[in-house]
Amino acid sequence: MAMIPDYGLWLMGLVTFLSCLALPVPASLLMIGGGAFAAAGDFALTSISGVAYLGAVAGDQTGFAIGQRGSRLFALIHATPGKRADLLARAEHFFDKWGGPGVFLSRWLVSPLGPYINFIGGAAQLNWLKFTAWGIAGEAIWVGLYTGLGYTFSGQIAMVADIAANISGLLAALAGAGALGWLIFRPHGPART
Amino acid sequence: MRARFRASFARHPLLSSGFLLALGLVMFFAARSVAALVYWSDPAHRDQPIEGWMTPRYVIQSWQLPPEVMTEILNAGPMPGRRLTLAQIADDQGITLNDLAARITAATDAHRAASK
Repeated sequence: MAMIPDYGLWLMGLVTFLSCLALPVPASLLMIGGGAFAAAGDFALTSISGVAYLGAVAGDQTGFAIGQRGSRLFALIHATPGKRADLLARAEHFFDKWGGPGVFLSRWLVSPLGPYINFIGGAAQLNWLKFTAWGIAGEAIWVGLYTGLGYTFSGQIAMVADIAANISGLLAALAGAGALGWLIFRPHGPART
Repeated sequence: MRARFRASFARHPLLSSGFLLALGLVMFFAARSVAALVYWSDPAHRDQPIEGWMTPRYVIQSWQLPPEVMTEILNAGPMPGRRLTLAQIADDQGITLNDLAARITAATDAHRAASK
């Protein structure tokens, strides 16, 4: 926290950038703190959230590009028929159908999953335009949500950060359990409807 | 249900372990969310104690003080233009952070008593 007054904007952008690459940096806490400092008048809210937003969008693009490098691995799995290839096909189908909204929601509602969606989206060759359009919309909500929370509850950021961290962890775990459960338990072959 | 899970476990050991892990995480975070809500619903826990990373403006905002009170505490003329933290200010004045925090708390109490 003491680093915000010292390094301010640079730090904010760097941290949101790194958080989109699955690096363990406290991006939400810093955005809440940044919003609180903005409420106190030490920073302008627009510059704090603008820099956080640019960092996040750049981080998403980097993660996607890294994933694209890994798409060879996916091709390799496809080339060897078996249950792993089946599973991958099913995951890709899921991604094709729900990729856009998935990218959107993984920016803010289940943000701990975001970085992995970047890598997988790149590796599964999700349409770049689709990824970017849903991604920049989702990041706007993510940044707005956290800096807004800090701005509104500037006197109680310890409380807001604690509650937000736990609820976001809960939502991410629920989404992860749901997605894995769907992959494992869904009846094979055509749906029985 | 159990037989079905066993069958799927045999088919996808890695995914199924991940699924169980995710379920464990769901329970973990559910418990922590409830604990956090209970803890913070107590107003006594909400007053944020002074810490070194805070700036004077931050304290003014979160403790709802008039700026003059803070200027008096810092007895350093106008509010520092640079974004100095309380830790840096205490350093500059050659006092400990605890002393500075005590000064702020005392002045806050005096101000609140006077404005009642």
